[in-house]
Amino acid sequence: MEDTRVALVVLIPLLGSIVSYALGRAAPKVAGALATAAVATAFYFVVSLWQALEGGQSFTFTLSSWLSFADVRLPLELYFDKLSAVMCLVVTGVGSLIHLYSIGYMAEDESRPRFFSYLNLFIASMLILVLGKSLPVIFIGWEGVGLCSYLLIGFWYTNPDFASAGRKAFVMNRIGDLGFLVAMAILYHSCGSLDITVLNRPEVLARVPSEMGLIAGIALFLAATGKSAQLPLFTWLPDAMAGPTPVSALIHAATMVTAGIYLMARMFGVIELDPLVPAIILWTAFATSAIAALIAISQNDIKKVLAYSTVSQLGFMFLAVGVGAYSVALFHVVTHAFFKACLFMSAGSVIHGCHHEQDMRRMGGLARSMPLTCLSYGAATLAIAGIAPFAGYFSKHAILESLAHAHNPYLHGYSELIGLGATAIAICTAFYMTRSFILTFLGSYRGEGHPHEAPMVMTAPVLVLAALSVVGGVVLHHGFFTYLQGPLPPVAEHSGGGIVGYVLGSLPGLLGIAAAYALFVIAPAVKDQIRNALWVGEKLSSRKFYLDEVLGLLVIAPIRGLSGVVSRVLDQSVSIGTGNAIGGISRAVGELTCRVTTGQVSTYVLWMFASAALLLYCFLPVR
Amino acid sequence: MSFMEFVIAAVGIASAIGVVGFRNPLSSAFSLIVHLLAVAGLYALLGAHFLAVSQVVVYAGAIMVLVLFVLMLLNLKSESGRRIGIIRSAITVGIGLVIFLAVSGPMLAQFDNLPQATLDHNIKASEGGVKAIGELLYSKYMVQFELSSLVLLVGVVGAVMLAKRKNVQLTPREGGLGGAK
Amino acid sequence: MDPISSYLGISCLLFTIGGIGLCLRRNAIVLFMCVEMMLNAVNLAFVAFSKIHGNLDGQVAVFFVMVIAAAESAIGLAIILSVFRSVASIETTDAAELKW
Repeated sequence: MEDTRVALVVLIPLLGSIVSYALGRAAPKVAGALATAAVATAFYFVVSLWQALEGGQSFTFTLSSWLSFADVRLPLELYFDKLSAVMCLVVTGVGSLIHLYSIGYMAEDESRPRFFSYLNLFIASMLILVLGKSLPVIFIGWEGVGLCSYLLIGFWYTNPDFASAGRKAFVMNRIGDLGFLVAMAILYHSCGSLDITVLNRPEVLARVPSEMGLIAGIALFLAATGKSAQLPLFTWLPDAMAGPTPVSALIHAATMVTAGIYLMARMFGVIELDPLVPAIILWTAFATSAIAALIAISQNDIKKVLAYSTVSQLGFMFLAVGVGAYSVALFHVVTHAFFKACLFMSAGSVIHGCHHEQDMRRMGGLARSMPLTCLSYGAATLAIAGIAPFAGYFSKHAILESLAHAHNPYLHGYSELIGLGATAIAICTAFYMTRSFILTFLGSYRGEGHPHEAPMVMTAPVLVLAALSVVGGVVLHHGFFTYLQGPLPPVAEHSGGGIVGYVLGSLPGLLGIAAAYALFVIAPAVKDQIRNALWVGEKLSSRKFYLDEVLGLLVIAPIRGLSGVVSRVLDQSVSIGTGNAIGGISRAVGELTCRVTTGQVSTYVLWMFASAALLLYCFLPVR
Repeated sequence: MSFMEFVIAAVGIASAIGVVGFRNPLSSAFSLIVHLLAVAGLYALLGAHFLAVSQVVVYAGAIMVLVLFVLMLLNLKSESGRRIGIIRSAITVGIGLVIFLAVSGPMLAQFDNLPQATLDHNIKASEGGVKAIGELLYSKYMVQFELSSLVLLVGVVGAVMLAKRKNVQLTPREGGLGGAK
Repeated sequence: MDPISSYLGISCLLFTIGGIGLCLRRNAIVLFMCVEMMLNAVNLAFVAFSKIHGNLDGQVAVFFVMVIAAAESAIGLAIILSVFRSVASIETTDAAELKW
């Protein structure tokens, strides 16, 4: 049924974007509060819509008829059902907390109005993405968040490295967008509609021919790869840490990167058209997750650790997608939003307190000077490590369980391998997160200057998120999967197995924590010995497995060569040459014909009579 | 065609050629006066008596006098020696021929079918006389008549404005009245 | 050719001669006189047609043409005088600055 609140959810942050920029130029202090208020208002409307949602109901709102010609109907429609509700709650809820945090983080920055304007614009785009009723509308939001990501990563654009990081993110996103467009084309051609409520019906999907189904599925996954940073399009995410920390928290932890998961979940019918597609998703996600975890072990910049951790966790979510457990993946989206945003924001507080120092080797002992931040970071670390009863445990455990129950023909015999691998990755995750905690907060301070706790406006949101990371899982995990059974296929519900089950499930996490504690606190010498022994691994890890270089060679160099040829040959000779030639012809003709105007009256009279004679000859019947 | 008509027509055509042909503009002017009188004769032969008289009075009498005045005012010598090229002359005569053929062609094509008209050498007062034309002018062509008076007014005013002597020095030539202000 | 057609033929001839004069002569006043000649040719045609049709509308037209020709001659000659004052010549070849 139609409900205006759906439109308000999107339009208020959009308005906030414009207004906070306009007003912020006059009074910079107002910009942050205004932007936060806008997102909070959107959150309020989302909550009210969510409360009103019952059963298989959904709310829609048509913004405009947009494309409507011949027999093509592609209206701009918004759609709010249970899946959208979950996503919107995360986006607006975590979003408003991050806006609040940014007021403190960006307090000394002169371009604050622009920052908050972009942040609101991002929220609006993300909401369009999540609320879109048809693929083109989702694509609008898709592009919008890509744009805002570019704008916000390169926010301090005067630094050329930051600007090129933004550009790299945008270009890689764009490659994914190609997949989106291909999938849209195939689906429209076969099914005649791009509406998501139509496209998931089996009778509609049956119209897609089998080869096209494979291509469409792969294309959609390509789009998700670009947005959610999976192989081979994930190298932009660590570079994106060049942006301000609230940006990293919002976009690259909680929301934009989850857009890929959302797309997969919405289009699950298309994904499952050809069983090869989920298998590809699974393997890609596995490889990504493993590589990212291995790289994260050797990173020294606290934000980079978190960035690779995000890539790894996204890989986990895609693992769940690959076995068809979409609601499990979404559950991990929610919990990941809690603890990753908390981690990033705590890191931001640390950076802020250490006067923009990001290298962990120059931190340490901050537990004493920043107790609240330390508490939050620790809680979130336990969550990401998968320790019961923290939030991350429930979602990770659910993923691992769903892996065990996969029945994809392409995965025969490999499902145990993947399950083991995923568990190993979980141990790794716990290991490097604990390492970062130890390096940052324990021990003694290795840097210069006097670190101080962040102001309340920054620590309050962080504490809220930390609390959510603690209790979120316990509260949500019972009803979550059944809640989403309307829009998404059902998952087998597994019992928690009691206390024993919890302990067993937390084992990988505990192992990782113990290993990190042992190596970094108890016996640092052993750590150095191991590092020297594994020097190959360390090299690979710290050089990010040379992925950037490989991509540069395989992709960027040929494109540069081609564009050089095109610009020299085509542009110079053909385009400019043609233009000059036409101009030359024009001038020659002009110079020839302008001689008619001799200025002599007799010439003009002669021409006049000649024309008159011609006309007379034409119109009078001369014998 | 009677002898009278033939002579008058011949005079008209000859003087027309004279207007175009004479080098001296004064000779051209006099030739034009003769032409106008000849045409007036043709009008009379066609029974347009009022027009014949007004042709003599207005055209030959007033307009040509004005032209002669201006010619005298400018006190010109004959046209300077630059001759018009042969090519231009040929082209012009050619075009003239084409125009002549174009205009007279339709007529020549059907000269059998033109309505016959009788030429009356007796001057009849009713036909083409002042009364007849006056009746037409003041009834059917009233508006045009009034408007033409407006045109004449504009013409007078315009001519005075244009010809008024402004404060300019003439270039040293015997043109006009010298350098008088 | 019947009599009345010969008048029309004369009219055409006079018109053509006037036109040729317009193209060939350089003196502004002679150009003006050629235009007057063309007008006269047209007047002759009008009168001839009036004779053919048997009513006087053609002659009234001639009347108006004469009125306009009078006004036009006044203004035309005044213009020639003005031009003469700035260019000091009434040959059209001397006032040919508006060219490429």
